[in-house]
Amino acid sequence: MINVQGLTFSRGERTILNNFSMTLAQGELVLLSGENGSGKTTLLQLIGGVLTPSAGAITFNDRKLSELSTTEQAKVRAIAPARRQFTLAYTVQEVLDFVPKNDRAAHPDQMIESLGLRDLLERKVTELSTGQQERVSVGLALMQEADFYLLDEPFSAQDQGNTQNILQLLTALKKTKGVLVISHNQDALRSYFDREIMLEEPY
Amino acid sequence: MSQRTRKLLSYTVSVVAILFLFQISLTTGIVHVHESIWSLVGKNSVDSNTVWQLRFPRVLGALIIGAALGVAGAVAQGIFRNPLAEPTLIGLSSGATLGTIVVIATGVGSFGTRSIVAGAVGGAALTALLVQWLAPAKGFGFLLTGIAISSILTSVAGLLISMSAKPGIQSLSFWDFGSLSLLNNQSVGMIAPYLEAGVILAFFVSRKLDIYSLGDHSASYMGVDPRRLRLWAVLALALLVGPAVSAVGSIAFLGLLVPHIVRLLVGPAHRRLLSLSALVGAIVLMLADLIARTSFEPNEIPLGLITSLLGAPVLIILLKVKRASWVSND
Repeated sequence: MINVQGLTFSRGERTILNNFSMTLAQGELVLLSGENGSGKTTLLQLIGGVLTPSAGAITFNDRKLSELSTTEQAKVRAIAPARRQFTLAYTVQEVLDFVPKNDRAAHPDQMIESLGLRDLLERKVTELSTGQQERVSVGLALMQEADFYLLDEPFSAQDQGNTQNILQLLTALKKTKGVLVISHNQDALRSYFDREIMLEEPY
Repeated sequence: MSQRTRKLLSYTVSVVAILFLFQISLTTGIVHVHESIWSLVGKNSVDSNTVWQLRFPRVLGALIIGAALGVAGAVAQGIFRNPLAEPTLIGLSSGATLGTIVVIATGVGSFGTRSIVAGAVGGAALTALLVQWLAPAKGFGFLLTGIAISSILTSVAGLLISMSAKPGIQSLSFWDFGSLSLLNNQSVGMIAPYLEAGVILAFFVSRKLDIYSLGDHSASYMGVDPRRLRLWAVLALALLVGPAVSAVGSIAFLGLLVPHIVRLLVGPAHRRLLSLSALVGAIVLMLADLIARTSFEPNEIPLGLITSLLGAPVLIILLKVKRASWVSND
């Protein structure tokens, strides 16, 4: 269980999150929605351990995030940030192989198939379209063995068919894992999710 | 040609080229050697001394220093996420030079001794730590802090040279151009352990450099602490660059060009990049030194000129015929 309690985060004068709480358990697929600037990505970065909250606490399976090392955090949750930038001309296969062998998810083939990456494995990631790169980014997160998967805007550049495929993949994944999807364009997708968390601007 | 064939070919050709250059370099020079060089091993003759006391350390030195600088360039570009990065740029060479000058000026050691190498490694390592400590965590801050520190250290080194009354210290300006002419069996033996440690450390971080290429956040998400990785990487750079500077001075362009050539041949994955950069770095420096000392005998051409003249056209040709290996985020 990922447990977020009374989280507050400010940047300068602006309070982005104010006393925010949520949970994510294994076995559920949760949608996190909200307007631009409502703090969705900030929340992800706080859970991801790259930002420090001004108040509140985050726990992974009852262990405090602040007490876990970077490596330990990565074993609990995998994250696909939005608009991941690929600057070096790795092949798609090489990118997926970034995940060390011992830390890889059990059956990556199904995932590679569902994300439509099979035919792209030998292509250079820098020469792919935005949509294809987005699927590689999601694939890299799903390649990692973890209890929870947090995906920031995984469909922002996908057509309907690909979006459906990814959602079916995530639905299969949630049988054993907890999955949180951040999306601002959610109307057509709601039916796939077990519940929705709405982030609103604190004022 | 398939990816696999190209990789295999790149390694095979490199190893053969190194063996070939090694043999040629030992047999070529002002003194013409009549016998087979292998029959001279252990003998006490002019030919034997020329080959095994003068040429051998120089060729071996070119091999290991070229390899070290190739690896250092690849690590520097990876850790700064910048295709223009090289160890000289962030002040490691100036730190090493300053460390050496301090050792000489304070009278702790004189040129060609163990304390000089230690001074150079220490200077480079302290510079690395200083850059790490002062630089903001994000963006180009790391690189720019390095450039600023580099210019300070270069000036301080220059001041110390002008103020010092120690004889011979002015000749240290040979470092500005780089030369392998002062290498001997002893000095090669002194720098080798440091370079070895640097290469091992570089390979230890190589896998993490791939993940790190996606940015600090992505790296953290995947379990790689970017601050810690930067620390290990700059220490590896200090171990690779410090001893090289103490023995042969700053050699222009090698660390910058070699990784780009290698990336175009076998792609950017860092393990392969580092290993092939070591081989290609060795080839470039061995070839450059061979040309530098033989083409206008008995005069030597400054080594930096040759490395640039050899390396730059190769890069231009590869960039023309191959697709980009490094895209910008514009």
